[in-house]
Amino acid sequence: MSGRAIAWTLALPATLLVVLALGLPVLATFLTTLTSEGGAVANYSGFFTSAFRRTVLWRTFEVAAITTLLSVLIGFATAWVVAKAPGQLKSLLIIAAVFPLLTGAVVRSFAWMVILGKNGILNGLLLKVGAIAEPLSMLYTEGAVIVAMVYLFVPLMVLTLVGVLEAIPQDLTEAAASLGATPAAAFRQVVLPLAVPGLIVGAVLVFTGAFTSYVTPQLLGGERQMMMGTFLYQQAMITFDWPRASTIAAIMTVVTLVTVWAMSRLARRLNPVAG
Amino acid sequence: MARVHPVLGAFAVLVFALLLAPLVIIIGASVSDTTFLTFPPQGLTLHWFERLFEIAAFRRTMITSFLLAVGGTGLSLLIGIPAAYALARWRGGLPAFLPNVFVLPVLIPEIVLGFSLMKSVATGLGLPIIAALLVGHAVLVLPYCVRVVGASLNQFDFSIEEAAVSLGCPRWRAFFSVVLPNVRAGVIAAFILAFITSINDVSVSIFLTGPGVSTLPIQILAHMEQFFDPVIASVSVLLMLVTVGVMAIVEFTLGLTFLTK
Amino acid sequence: MSVSLTLAGVSAHYGSTLVLENLDLHVAEGELVALLGASGCGKTTTLRLVAGFLQPSAGTIRLGERDLTRLPAHSRNIGLVFQTYALFPHLTVRDNVAFGLKQRGVAAAERARRAEAMIATVGLEGLADRHPANLSGGQRQRVALARALVIDPPLLMFDEPLSNLDAKLRIDMRVEIRRAQRDRGTTALYVTHDQEEAFSISDRVAIMSRGRIEQLGPPEELYSRPANAFVANFVGFSNLVPMRAVTEAGDAVRLEMQGGATLDLPRARFAVPAREVIFAARAEGLTVAREGRGIPATLGLRTYLGRAYQYRCTTAAGEIVANGPLSEPLEPGTRAVLVPEPDHCAILRAE
Repeated sequence: MSGRAIAWTLALPATLLVVLALGLPVLATFLTTLTSEGGAVANYSGFFTSAFRRTVLWRTFEVAAITTLLSVLIGFATAWVVAKAPGQLKSLLIIAAVFPLLTGAVVRSFAWMVILGKNGILNGLLLKVGAIAEPLSMLYTEGAVIVAMVYLFVPLMVLTLVGVLEAIPQDLTEAAASLGATPAAAFRQVVLPLAVPGLIVGAVLVFTGAFTSYVTPQLLGGERQMMMGTFLYQQAMITFDWPRASTIAAIMTVVTLVTVWAMSRLARRLNPVAG
Repeated sequence: MARVHPVLGAFAVLVFALLLAPLVIIIGASVSDTTFLTFPPQGLTLHWFERLFEIAAFRRTMITSFLLAVGGTGLSLLIGIPAAYALARWRGGLPAFLPNVFVLPVLIPEIVLGFSLMKSVATGLGLPIIAALLVGHAVLVLPYCVRVVGASLNQFDFSIEEAAVSLGCPRWRAFFSVVLPNVRAGVIAAFILAFITSINDVSVSIFLTGPGVSTLPIQILAHMEQFFDPVIASVSVLLMLVTVGVMAIVEFTLGLTFLTK
Repeated sequence: MSVSLTLAGVSAHYGSTLVLENLDLHVAEGELVALLGASGCGKTTTLRLVAGFLQPSAGTIRLGERDLTRLPAHSRNIGLVFQTYALFPHLTVRDNVAFGLKQRGVAAAERARRAEAMIATVGLEGLADRHPANLSGGQRQRVALARALVIDPPLLMFDEPLSNLDAKLRIDMRVEIRRAQRDRGTTALYVTHDQEEAFSISDRVAIMSRGRIEQLGPPEELYSRPANAFVANFVGFSNLVPMRAVTEAGDAVRLEMQGGATLDLPRARFAVPAREVIFAARAEGLTVAREGRGIPATLGLRTYLGRAYQYRCTTAAGEIVANGPLSEPLEPGTRAVLVPEPDHCAILRAE
C-alpha cells in the first residue's frame, strides 16, 4: 500500500465523523433557513425586523464585548504577576487558575446564583452592614450575566497570556534595559507589541465563547435577559419553531466565523515578527 | 528576578481570591445544616450528600455521564490518533485543507452543533438517545484528540520509527512500541481535556437528552428549576472532586505547568 | 571617553548556592579582558552582575568613578551584545539600532541619522528597513553590535557573541569586534568558552572555574606558563604526570617519575616550585623516538594528524599522548622513549 493510501485509510474515520456528525447537520441547518416556508428573505428579515430579536442580538453582542474587554484587562494584569512569580508560587497560582477552568460552567454559574440571589450572600452581607435596607434584585440582570461570564473566562485568559508572556524571551527585556529603557518603557515598547497577537487569540476565545454561551445566560439572565444561546434553545425546544431556531444558529455561526477570520487577519497584520 | 509593582501584586491576589471564593462558598453551602443555600454554613452535615445519592435521577445520570465521557473520548481517541499520525507522518500526501477539518468542531458554536445534531441525526435518523449523545460528544472532543496528539507528533522525530523498522520491527508494531510511547504526554493531555469537556458539556447534551436518558449537568439544571436546595451544592462539590482527581492525574503524569504550554 | 571597570570582593548566590566567590577584577581603560571557562564557571554571572541583571551578595562594582553596585540596569549605560543577539523582532534594523538613542531622548531625525551611520559602519547599508527575521546570522550579529555601539557606552560587554555563527564567520566577526573596540578605545569585557577566540581577541584573559579566577594574564603567559593544573589542562597540556624533583644538578632540573625513569629539563627555562610537582606536556611536548633520554613507553594506537603522527602510549605513569615524526611511522607495540620538547612543557606545583 502506498504512503498516500495508508494516510487516507488512517485519516478517514475521523474525517467521516466530522463530515457526517458536524458538517452535514450544520449544513442542513443552514439549508433550513434558505428553504423553509417563506425562504431565506423571510427568515432573516423576519429576524431583524423584530425589535425583540434585535434586542437579543444586541444584548448578546454587548455582553460578549464587555466580558471580553474586562477579561482581557483583568487577565493581562493577573498573567503578568503569575509570569513574574518565582517557581513554587507560580505553580500554585497556575493550579489556582486551572481548577476553576476545569470546573464546569454549570457549577461556576450556580455559585453566582448563590451569591447574587435575593436571599443570597451578597445581599445578606449588605443588609448586615446596613448598606441597604431592602435586598437588591441582582439576579436576572445583564450585570449578573457579565459578572459570571467574566468569572468564567478570566482563568482561560490568564493561562493563555501566561503562555504568551513566557514566550517572550527574557533577553529582550534585558536588552531593552541595557539600552536604557526603564521598566515602563520596556513594557510599552517591547513586551506589549510582542504580546498583542496572543492577546487577540485570547480575546477571540472569550468573545466567541461568551457570544455562543448557553448555561450562564440561562442561569443568571433567565427569560428576562434572553441571549442568542438561550433564545436558540427556547425556539428549538420550547416553541419548536425550527426554521427560526435555524436562523438563530446560522447568525451565531456566521458571527463566530467572521470574528475568528477577521481577528486572525488582524493578528497576522499586527504580528510584529513577520517582516 | 524582576519585581512586580505592589499594586499589581495586590490586584492579582484579589483576582485569585475572587476566582476561588465562589467555589469555597459552594463547598460551605453543601455541608450547611439548612434547607436553603447559605454561607457561611450553619451547622455541619453530610445530609445533602446522602440526599443526593437517594435521588435516582442523580445516580443514573452520574453513571451515564461517566460512561459517556469515557466512551466518547475513547471513540474520539481511537479515530483521532490515527488521523493525527497520518497528518504528521504524510503531510504531503494528504490535502492541505484536511487539518482544518478537525478545527471545525471548535469553530462551530457548540450549541449550534447540538441543535443541528438533534434536528438531523437524533430526530431525522431516529438514532437512539444514547447513540446520538455518544456521537455528539465524540465529535465535540475530536479536536483535542487530533490537535493535542498532533502537536506531540509534530515534535516526534520519525527517523526513530525508521530506525526501528530498519532493525526488523514491523511497521504496525513500531507504531505501538516506538511512536506511541513517545507521544504519551499528548495522548494523556488529550484524554484529560476531552474527558473534562465531555463531563461538563451542556450545550450539546441539552438537545440530545430525552426521556429516561440524561447527563449529570442536564439533571442539575432540571433539579435547579424545581428545588434550589443544598443538593445542588453537594453535586457541585462532587464535580469539583472530579476536577481535583483529573488535576492530580495531570500533575503525576505531566506536571501541571504543562497546561500553559 | 574611556574608563576602567573594577570589581572588588564580589560574591553572588543563586538561592543558597554560591556561584561567585570574592572576585576581584580590574579592566583598565581601553582594555579588552576575556572571561574564559566552561559553562557554570561564573563568567556569565560576572557579566550579568556588571550589567545589573543580578545583584551581588557582597562587594562593589565601579565603572570609573561611578559606583554601579546598586544602580538599576537601565541607568548603567553599558553596551551589551547578547549570545542570542536579543534583537527586537517587531522592530526594523533601523529601529533596533535607534532603540537606545530613543531612550536617551534623542530627537527622531537625529536618531535616524545616527542609526543609519552606524548601520553603514557595520556594513549593513540598504538593510535598515528589514526585520531581524529576514537577516542572516552574521547580519543579526552586526545589528546587535551596531545597537550596542551607537549609544557610545564607556563599557562594552559581549556574552558569547559568536557562538551561533559558523567557523569562518566567527573569525571575521571577532576581528571586526576587536577593531571596533580598539578604534573607539572602549573598555570591554568579553565572555566566551572558546579558548582560541579569547586568546586572539583579548589584551588579557581570565580563566575561571567554580566561581573563581584561576589565572589572569596576557594570552601568551597563560599559554606557556599556566599557573596550575586546571589552567594547564584548559590550555591544552593534555599530559599531567606527577613527578618528584630530585636534584638540580648543573644547568638541568631533574625530575623522577613513578618507576624510576628521569627527565632533565633546562634550568634556565624551568623553576621548581616544590618537591612534589606535576610535569605538564602537550602532545607536541613529547616526541616519540627509538632511543634517547625520556619517558620509556610502549606505543599504542597511532593516528595521522597531517603535521605529525600521534600515539597513545603506555608508560609507568599511565597513558600519555605524544607526537612522532612523519618520516618514521611506528607500529603499535614498539618500545620507544618520549623525549620532552621544553617549549611545550611546564612544571607545576602538585595540588
